[in-house]
Formats: sequence, structure tokens, C-alpha cells
Amino acid sequence: MTPRQLLDPTSERGPADRPRTPRPESLQGLTVGLLDIAKPRGDVFLDRLHELLSARGVEVLRFRKPTYTKPAPIDLRREIAVRCDAVVEALAD
Amino acid sequence: MTALEAQRVPAVFVASSEFAPAADAQGAALGFRPAAVYVAHPVQDRTDDEMRALADDAVAGVWASLSQASRG
Amino acid sequence: MVIYASHVGLPDGYAVFVKASCPTCREVAPVLRRLREAGVPVSVYTQDDPSFPSGVEAIDDTDLHRSYEAGVEIVPTLLRVTGGAVAETLQGWLRADWERVTGVPGLGDGLPDHRAGCASRTLDPEVAEMLAVRLGARRLAARRVELGDLEDEAEAMFERGWTDGLPVVPPTPARVLRMLEGTSRHPEEVVAVVPPDLVDCTVEKVAINAVLAGCRPEYLPVVLAAVEAACTDEFNVHGVLATTWSAGPVVIVNGPIAARVGMNSGGNALGQGNRANATIGRALQLVVRNVGGGRPGGVDRATHGNPGKYTFCFAEDEQRSPWEPLAVERGLAPGRSAVTLFAGSGLQPVVDQLSRTPESLARSLAASLQAVAHPKQALAWDALLVVSPEHARVFREGGWSKARLRQELDGLLRRPGAELARGAGGIAEGIPAALADGEVSKFRPGGLLIVHAGGTAGLFSAIIGGWVSGALGSEPVTREVRE
Repeated sequence: MTPRQLLDPTSERGPADRPRTPRPESLQGLTVGLLDIAKPRGDVFLDRLHELLSARGVEVLRFRKPTYTKPAPIDLRREIAVRCDAVVEALAD
Repeated sequence: MTALEAQRVPAVFVASSEFAPAADAQGAALGFRPAAVYVAHPVQDRTDDEMRALADDAVAGVWASLSQASRG
Repeated sequence: MVIYASHVGLPDGYAVFVKASCPTCREVAPVLRRLREAGVPVSVYTQDDPSFPSGVEAIDDTDLHRSYEAGVEIVPTLLRVTGGAVAETLQGWLRADWERVTGVPGLGDGLPDHRAGCASRTLDPEVAEMLAVRLGARRLAARRVELGDLEDEAEAMFERGWTDGLPVVPPTPARVLRMLEGTSRHPEEVVAVVPPDLVDCTVEKVAINAVLAGCRPEYLPVVLAAVEAACTDEFNVHGVLATTWSAGPVVIVNGPIAARVGMNSGGNALGQGNRANATIGRALQLVVRNVGGGRPGGVDRATHGNPGKYTFCFAEDEQRSPWEPLAVERGLAPGRSAVTLFAGSGLQPVVDQLSRTPESLARSLAASLQAVAHPKQALAWDALLVVSPEHARVFREGGWSKARLRQELDGLLRRPGAELARGAGGIAEGIPAALADGEVSKFRPGGLLIVHAGGTAGLFSAIIGGWVSGALGSEPVTREVRE
């Protein structure tokens, strides 16, 4: 499919890609959500990540998608957005 | 992921390196490339100890992609 | 009449453009064979079927490049080419003309004397757009932003921060090229240096933002004038942007261009609903944000802002006005088109349904004008008074020129400094004691602008409070519109 092109209305001093949301200076003292995308054995990986992040002063919350095959339900996303300062989704293969 | 980033929640996904081409293609299609940390393939048939080792290797990258701290 | 490019890259002799699906072209095919037999140097370009017409070594122009460059609108078209330029153009079949131009008598045996042609394929809407983009787009300098296959266009522009919070029109190359047709100015001409990032803003960049805003191409000259005016040192758009005050640029349009592009100077002229009013003001705001880089939370630190920061643009009603247009009052020759930029902070309507004399109405307006920014502030703040037709009638019937009204208002707007001083009346705000001697005028000389606009029903006028003037503030600026 022919890519759709738009002309840049800005001064072009910044990148053309959609930027990622700004990051905090550090995760220490913040709440990070670990979202298990429900592939087998992902929980083992996330358990270890949980230990490592907690050891670095991060408050960790755990979440799990009901099924790998569909996007996270809107309630789950909202809950993560409200309760967490950042999120890690794992483990896709 | 894009939904969470759009709600100003920094997000990163962790995936096996096999996932990288698909992730790139999806990023191009969406016009947005989320932060990603890749771990060595394969993943499924690892022992628990090996899985934990993958997490040990990945944590620095996770930290760096969610904060302004430099890697390491 | 059709104007063709003077140099079209065709060989000297004759060029004929045809398409097989055109009945007239099919009838004319034997004529073309006859011309070649007679040794006339004729090149035949076919727009659809390269095997048509037979016997003339037809040239395949199915990509329509030749037809487009030659500006062909009708088929068959016969061009006489001399020195690489078109010397004569014939559209359709007319025996007398074809014989004269080619010098070959007895053409078209069995054909009627005259038969109209068909539309050239270059005029198919889809084709026209595609050709304009392919052949014109390389002239566009702006960076191309490629959307992902799955990206929604509207969301994509929100997410890249290109909007003012409302959806915008995707600036495709075709749309921007069409927008640029609204001006004879060169796309690469630098119109202004836009603060706060001090970016050179070209005609093309303004056109892209005009597309975003929803402008029609004919609005572009007004937008360009507004950008020029806004970016002057006098208007100080940087200051207007950065202030915590509610101000934003207000664009008042004078002259013939207002009616020509369909602006509203009458009922609800300061409100919504008119495309030209809405999108011209919006385009200016988008240029300032997108090109200059000034955004709320960044350089824009307004406490409240005002809805006019989406768009605030209207035309003066010159026809019904008892007075000279604002731009003329400010020095422009009558009959010219211009924009005046004013740093305005919202709208304060004034009701007076009982004054039958100009004296009484002037007092009403003065009492309301005194309250601009703060009743006890003086000389620092400007204002724009929009007098409605019903109120203007009172002044007209009283025989008051604008100068007369201004003189009256000046007198009414002088208050004892002691009343305005800080602390006076139990109000800490006010003018410093050092300025509170004698009488003090509300507005600095030139600080009160008066225009005529609005619907014919309604004994109301409107005050658009301004911002501070002087070195750190903003001065109204008038700029002629160049087309």
C-alpha cells in the first residue's frame, strides 16, 4: 500500500516520529506495573524482575492480561494508568 | 502499549529477539515505536533458573527505557 | 481561453493530442494520416490507447506527462510549435482553422465543418490530482512525515502535537499544492521569523498550516498578511504568547478581499460558523504554535487564556459604516485590502437600548471602557471597540464622525488621578501615586481602536480588551494583503 505522506507543519527542528511519553528522571520511589501478557513461563521472568526492581527501591504492582490473544481490556489498562508511574509488559516470543 | 503511552504512562515491552522484526513492522504500521528490550531466544523451553537469568540481563535495559537514567 | 506553458519541450512542427475514447478524435484520425502523407511534421500523442490512431506512429502519452506539461484541456488539440514554444492552439475540429494552420487544403473529407472535442484525460479529477502531486510535489520543500499503515490520520496529527486541541485537515502534498495556488508568491519566500524559536517561515509552511486550519486557497493571502503583521517587533507575538494575561492575536480584515473570500462582517461576525473567519484566524494560531514552537505549558503561560486563542478573526462592515475603515484610518489607501492585528483578550458586550443621542451613547460606552483590565488602571491597556450597526446609526444620525466620537470618548475617559490611585476606594490595585496627579486618561494615545461590525438587530456594542502597550507589550499593526 502506498504510504500516506503529510507535509510537516512545524519548524522541523524536532524528530518527525511520534515521540514516546516523557520519562521520569528515575524509577526509584515510583510504582511500576508488571503486566503479564499470559504467555507460558512469563510469570517466572516477571517474578525475578519484581525482586530486582523492588531491591532498587521501586514499588511493584502485578497485573495479568486474561488472554494473550487479545489486547488488554480497557478496565485493566485504566487501572494500570491510574495506579502506576510506568509499566513493563512481558514476555513475548 | 500505545494506549498506555498515550495516557502518559512510560511503557516498555520485553520480548524474545525473534519478536523484533514483527515489532518493527507493527511500529512502522502504527507510526509509533514503543520502547523494547529483547532477550535471547529461545524463551519457552528455559529452566526456571535460566528464565531468572534472562530477567537479570534485562533489568538494566528496562530501567533505562523507563527513566532518563543512562544504561548500566 | 487557455494559457499554455510557453516552452513545452515539443519538437517544432505540429503536435496533436487525442484519445481513442473520443468520437471527434476518431473522426479526425484520417485527417492526421492525410497530414503525414502530405509531409507535415506532426507528432500525435495518444492519452489512452497507444495503438490509436493507426498509421501515424502515435506516441504513447498514457502517463499524460506530455499532455500535462502542454496544458491540454480538450482532445483533439492541435498545437503549432515554433522554436520550442506554442505559436497557435486549436481545440476540437474546425476545418477552416486546421487547413489554415497546417497549410494543407481539403482536410476532413466527409467530416462536418466543425465538431467539438472531449475533455482531456488530464482533467479527470483523480488524474489531475495525481499529476499535480507527481509533477508539482517535488517543488515542495517541507519534510515528509509518513504515517503508519494502521495509523488513523486524525489521531496521527493529534499525537504529533500539530493541533490546537481540535481536529485538523491532513496536509497532503495535493492539498498544499492547491493551497499554494491561492497566492502568486513563491513557496520558498520567507514571510516572517516566528518566535519563540525564531524560525524562518516560508509561504509553503504557512500554506501547510492553512491546510491544517481548513482554509480555502483564496484565504491564503490574508493568512500571509496576518503572519507578517503578527511577527513584527511592534506587535510582539512572542510577548502576546508568553504573557500570563488572556491575550491572543485578533485579526480585523478590511478591503475588497473580505467579501471576495466570503468573510462575515455582520451577524455573529465575532462568533462561529463562517469558514473564512474561523480558518484564517486559526491558521495564524497554528503557524505560531507549529512553526514558532510556542505552546501552553511551554512558552505560553496564560492563566486563563481566552477562547479567541483558537481563532479570532472578522471583517469590518465597511458598507454600512458611517466612518472610514480601520485600515484607512491607520494610513492605508482606500480600496486596498489589509489586516490589522490587535492583542485582544476576549469579548465584553455592552448593552445600551435606550440612548437616542450620541452624547448618551458615548457615555455608556465610556463607562464600560473604563473597566477594561481594571477600572482603576490607566494608560497601560489598549482596547478595541466594535460598534454595531444599530449603535452606529445613533452616531450617524447625530452627525458624529469617528474623530468626533473619539474626541468625546477621550474627554469622558479622563478621571481624577486621586480616584485611580492605589488604595483609593479601598482597592489596593490602581495607578502609582506618582502618576495620580490631576486627570488621567484611560487609554494612551492610539490605544483605543474603533471598528464597525455586527448584525443589524441589537443595540449592543462590544469591547475587546487589549493587552499592555509599550516596549514590553504589543502595538496594533496593519499590513496590506498581497495576492
